[in-house]
Amino acid sequence: MGSFDVISHCMTSVSMKDVSKYFDGGNTVANYRLNLDVADGEFLVMLGPSGCGKTTALRLIAGLEQPSDGAIYFGDERVNSRSPSDRNVAMVFQNYALYPHLTVAENIGYPLKVRGIPPDDRDRKVEEITELLHIEDQVDKKPGALSGGQRQRVALARAIVREPSVFLLDEPLSNLDAKLRQEMRIELKRLQNELDITTIYVTHNQEEAMSMADTVVVMNQGTIQQIAPPQELYKRPRTAWVARFIGSPPMNLFQGTRHNGSIDLGEAGTVELDGVMDADEAVVETANQDDASAASVLANSAQGDVAVGIRPEDLALSATQPSSGNVIEGTVDTIEPMGEYILVNISVNDQIVNAKVSEWTVSTDERVYLTFDDDDAYLYDDNGELVG
Amino acid sequence: MVEDNAPDSRTDRDAGTEAKSDGGRYLSVEEIPETAPTADLTWQERIANVVPSKRRGLKYVVAITIALLWIVPFIGLFMASIRPLSEIIGGWWHIEGMTITFENYYQAWNHSTAPMSVALRNTFIVTIPAVLVVMLLGVMAAYPFARFEFPLKTTLFFLILLIMAAPPELVAMGNYNALQRFGLFDTYMGLILIHIGWGLGWVVLFLRNYLLGIPKELEEAARIDGASRYQIFRTIILPLSTPALVSVAVIQFTWVWNAFFFPLVFMRSPELYLAPQALPLMRGRVQVEWGIIAAGSIMTMAVPVILFLLLERYYKRGMVAAVAD
Repeated sequence: MGSFDVISHCMTSVSMKDVSKYFDGGNTVANYRLNLDVADGEFLVMLGPSGCGKTTALRLIAGLEQPSDGAIYFGDERVNSRSPSDRNVAMVFQNYALYPHLTVAENIGYPLKVRGIPPDDRDRKVEEITELLHIEDQVDKKPGALSGGQRQRVALARAIVREPSVFLLDEPLSNLDAKLRQEMRIELKRLQNELDITTIYVTHNQEEAMSMADTVVVMNQGTIQQIAPPQELYKRPRTAWVARFIGSPPMNLFQGTRHNGSIDLGEAGTVELDGVMDADEAVVETANQDDASAASVLANSAQGDVAVGIRPEDLALSATQPSSGNVIEGTVDTIEPMGEYILVNISVNDQIVNAKVSEWTVSTDERVYLTFDDDDAYLYDDNGELVG
Repeated sequence: MVEDNAPDSRTDRDAGTEAKSDGGRYLSVEEIPETAPTADLTWQERIANVVPSKRRGLKYVVAITIALLWIVPFIGLFMASIRPLSEIIGGWWHIEGMTITFENYYQAWNHSTAPMSVALRNTFIVTIPAVLVVMLLGVMAAYPFARFEFPLKTTLFFLILLIMAAPPELVAMGNYNALQRFGLFDTYMGLILIHIGWGLGWVVLFLRNYLLGIPKELEEAARIDGASRYQIFRTIILPLSTPALVSVAVIQFTWVWNAFFFPLVFMRSPELYLAPQALPLMRGRVQVEWGIIAAGSIMTMAVPVILFLLLERYYKRGMVAAVAD
């Protein structure tokens, strides 16, 4: 029996406490006061635009960077000063970082070799992993002779071969074409379910994030915007920024001013505030705090700037003015036939609004009316925080 | 081929015969040839395609002229080495009645005052350690310059560049005195050390540039895989540096092998002379033995040329990668 059969999956939870990272002697703030808890076996995805600090956060967890401030814990142990190998993390890099001078088998066996695992155990383990990832035919090739998808599999194999306690992936699928990305997404998810390793996955692709994650961490400008399961993230974006980031196309936000119980959206029309507030209270039953703040917005009914958010799929389109309900007026700018739906871009107050519709009923430059249910509207205050 | 019947017959749609229904507008995958179809050209057209334009032809003429100018002295030397002295005294280019002989090589090899057999052996004794040590020390010094942050890094690197700019003649006196004092004057050890010292500068610069081109991710991946700094250097950096190290070996070998000035200054005893020093001693007493000198020269220059030809593949890769960034 090799030593590997003895090692069980020693899972680890990961947490970050007020972790900040500065570069260039403090001139660049890469991460500011990150607080994050990743449970044993959880699949956590860090999602954000380029330069939002998600990769730096991952490298801090990996031990490739040292935090400038704060503490990182694996389980109960503070690991700030531990080397990557002591942390027993495995990482898959965006460009795979396969060793070009070694064969596939040698690449996968490398982590075992440098740890002094005897060659027989090593070979057996490599064989197991290559079978699991369907690359057993490639073991004698050099990475240069492999396709992108195969390289990706080798990189995954090298990462999981030594059964790490934390599995880190930095945009692992971004160099693959769309079809392959879809396949690898499913395979990664399956692999993670089977191995049950705590996984932290960094991506800028929200489709990847939503489809694979147990929990999504949305980051912007070096800090965390929201931590939520995918469905909740979509249903209840905590800030206007998240609302605009999640969804494809993202949520439409209408800037307006509050006038005693209604929101004035300029030329486009007026929306009754009561309806929006009441409706959302009914939909989000658990959000007691938000109810309180919504109530305070209602009570404090002086004038102020707010934003009303409606997802493109919740907007209905008609060429004639409806008699009642929430109505926003605009002109059709462009129409994008996408096959499964038709995306209509409507110009409202010099702002482009996206609406997803199933029937092609309007034409360019036509005057149209957008309607939506109270249930589907979100209200953000002038700080960008969700209030109702 | 696709039959071209009824271009717009929508009625065929359900039959599933695509080739017919689309009226030959689409090709099936099987129809795509493996290689580009050979064009049907007449032989006149083919010749016209091959003959270069005037402009291009002019460039060829210039290039070929320069190449000839470059190689003519070598051809002369080679001709002198394989013919008796009497035949080359009037000019090696008279080729009528040419006799080919290896007598010159034999005489040079066993020359009474400066035998090439000894001189070449001496040159190997100096060159091989001077190359190997420079490679090892060079890559060990270049790696920190390429990857680590340490105090005075820029200053030290600048200093290396500065010293490289100094001509060897300028510091020969200092080196001479130092070797005398350490008792290394007129020894191979002294000469080898001088060559190592002079070689290290450019080797560190060259290898640093090459190492900068190795992706950092590879080292980070290795760190995460659990490799120590030393393991990373030995199992990742060194193997990946092979092309650059081969380039260094070839250039340094040629430089040390052909060096004339350093042996001239630091080697005094004739029995220790290296090949470039031994060549002038073959002149002869009564008349200049051109054939023997030519044979000795060919033997001397053959060694770096053969090395270059053997390692050319790696050498080119290393040069391109080190100079590219």
